[in-house]
Amino acid sequence: MTDPLVTVDGLEKYYYENDTLLDRLTGAEPEAVRAVDGVSFDVREGETLGVVGESGCGKSTLAETLMRLREPTGGSVTFDGDPVFELAGDDMDAFRRRAQVMFQDPFSSLDPRMTAGEIITEPLAIHGVGTGAERRERAETLLEEVGLSAEQIDRYPHEFSGGQRQRIGFARALAIDPEFIVLDEPVSALDVSVQAQVLNLLADMQAERDLTYLFIAHDLSVVRHISDRVAVMYLGEIVEIGPTEEIFENPQHPYTKALLESVPRADTDERDRTVETIRGDVPSPRNPPSGCSFRTRCPELIQPPWLDLPQAAFREIGEFRTRIENGDIDVDLRWEGVGDPDREDRAAFVDSLYEEAFDTGLPAEEEETVREAIRALADGDRETAAATLRERYRSPCEAIDPALPAGDHPSACLLNEQPEDVETAREEWEADHDAPKAGAASE
Amino acid sequence: MISPRTLRNLRSELSRSLLAKLGIAILAVILFTALFAPLLAPHDPTNQNLDNANIPPLGFTATENQTSSEMVDGEVQIVEEEVVVNTTTAHPLGTDSLGRDVLSRTMFGARTSLLVGLFGTSIAVVLGVTVGITAGYYGGRIDDALMRFADVMLAFPSLVLAIALIGLWGQASLRIPDPLVAFGIASSEMPETIVLPGTVIVVVALVNWVWFARVARGEALSVRDQEYVKAARSMGGSDLHVILRHVLPNSLTPILVLATIQIAAIILLESSLSFLGFSGAQLSWGFDIAQGRQYLSSSWWIATVPGLAIVAAVVGINLIGDWLRDALDPGIEGQGGAP
Ligand code: SF4
Repeated sequence: MTDPLVTVDGLEKYYYENDTLLDRLTGAEPEAVRAVDGVSFDVREGETLGVVGESGCGKSTLAETLMRLREPTGGSVTFDGDPVFELAGDDMDAFRRRAQVMFQDPFSSLDPRMTAGEIITEPLAIHGVGTGAERRERAETLLEEVGLSAEQIDRYPHEFSGGQRQRIGFARALAIDPEFIVLDEPVSALDVSVQAQVLNLLADMQAERDLTYLFIAHDLSVVRHISDRVAVMYLGEIVEIGPTEEIFENPQHPYTKALLESVPRADTDERDRTVETIRGDVPSPRNPPSGCSFRTRCPELIQPPWLDLPQAAFREIGEFRTRIENGDIDVDLRWEGVGDPDREDRAAFVDSLYEEAFDTGLPAEEEETVREAIRALADGDRETAAATLRERYRSPCEAIDPALPAGDHPSACLLNEQPEDVETAREEWEADHDAPKAGAASE
Repeated sequence: MISPRTLRNLRSELSRSLLAKLGIAILAVILFTALFAPLLAPHDPTNQNLDNANIPPLGFTATENQTSSEMVDGEVQIVEEEVVVNTTTAHPLGTDSLGRDVLSRTMFGARTSLLVGLFGTSIAVVLGVTVGITAGYYGGRIDDALMRFADVMLAFPSLVLAIALIGLWGQASLRIPDPLVAFGIASSEMPETIVLPGTVIVVVALVNWVWFARVARGEALSVRDQEYVKAARSMGGSDLHVILRHVLPNSLTPILVLATIQIAAIILLESSLSFLGFSGAQLSWGFDIAQGRQYLSSSWWIATVPGLAIVAAVVGINLIGDWLRDALDPGIEGQGGAP
């Protein structure tokens, strides 16, 4: 195994909202947005590390913080032994030459008022490399190398297609002979047919020039062919990292599995399943869930030791519980729906809500617990209703925050191997929580 | 910096718009007149001749109260006589109350207006764009402080602010020898110097820079989030590099459009200041209007001719501003090109 070129250790980037002058005067607490929340990984020399996640998971912030385009709020990045966030003067200059970024947007990543030649030679001009004529020559060579023609050197970006613009952006990143390039979704904005061509270009250049890539994408299929290893990000954290083939053939984390299932395939049956596996929106990084950050969408949510329900049933109960906890059920409206404004026929209320919320048949015991909660709700006691469900259907995933262990292919999920302290915390949690009585016993 | 595409847009918009052509024609005439005033003007604009005072423009008549009294039936009657004065081409637009040629004065007055307009706007642009881009690019507290200050400036009516500043600093002006006269190209009877009203230029710039600051700030705010700015910074480009190479060129279009409009506004402001007697200029459209105001009922042309000149200049410049805005619309700029 080769040495790491880049080492990221516990990198954090929080944004603070409510931090205007007025907020400070009124004493409002600044609210942290955890864009990148403690991320650690290595990028080894000559490899491509793919970073994948849905939009809003913090992968672009990760790239920009790593390149010190934003100042981190915690953690460190080491580049070839140098601490990036402490560099200054000539050392910083050297870092800016050795590491480059290629951006996503073919429109806004090129200055519309500069010609292709001016764009490509900008890093050379900034670092004072070569004379004007030499730079121009270099730009011509680079244009040819990225598959354009030297005659196009005086054209403006609007005269190029999206794919061609990305090639120009890549030529700019190559101009100053870097060792490391961060590719921030370099093909996301392109047509699928053009994507493949640009990906091939990136791979060819890497082989030719011994480049190290950090490749960011929102789609696993894009990174598959170019990456040696893949890291999967969710809500500012890495949830699984490993060799590409292993990630695809043997995914560990439920989120990775869900992402793999959502890769569109020709077969329509599979596509139907997609909708089923990953539902709901990414929670706001302003207010991430307790415990495991994926638990609000996790299809494999762990049941407490006293339960052994079919997973679909457990999920349904969980969703019902969330609705009650969030106050999403309008009790008044439901009473009216039952046609009983005097609120006497509690059984009708319970039946109507139960039938609406539950498709799968629950075991008798659980059905009774749920009905008990609904009865409390019918009396207008939302607290008791929520507590009843919370007692019996709590998941360790709510309480324990899984960590990403060391190793070749770790995953931050309680179903997989976890570091010792997490395992201990989980055992303690299970010891602290006895099985509460099921609903049937109380009647 | 001006791409071929920009030129193309300018040309096509010009061929489409009659008003743009009109604006260019008006401004061309005014510019030509201002440049060659000593050659074009029929008289020395400062030459007084009380014998020829209050002559109306060619072909017009003027009524004068002749105080000839007659005794009719034992009562005194004042007889008004109508006198047609001007039949000569010596003073085609008449003379003012001191017998100075109105046409010549209006021609020379164009110089003052254009000088103040161009220099005043240039200073305002430099000042406003510097402040605005600094505020927009750096954001945060620098932005807060600069823009609050700018808002305070905007809260004062510009004329009041200008008068206050002139009151504070007095009226200084620079006399530059007129090359046309100095080299003997124009008649030596013409005024030997061009008066550059220094204080007025600085004051109109100080009153108007805020508009440029606001526009430049808005542009800088949007440009600084573009990926090419991030790219430049990731390559190691300094703030100065980013501002000069990216932010400024990409903010220029709306600033240019605003500049044309502001030239017109500044010409108006200069005229107001001259009219109110604050500019110290003795040869300017505003000054002549002020002079002619008291004779408006009897000798309307003294104020009306320079007044029409102001209207023409402002309309012409605004038409050009509209043309630039339509042709350089950033909405059109960013797009185009094959997908
Ligand atoms: S820890 Fe629990 S919620 Fe999180 S991914 Fe694993 S099973 Fe799902």
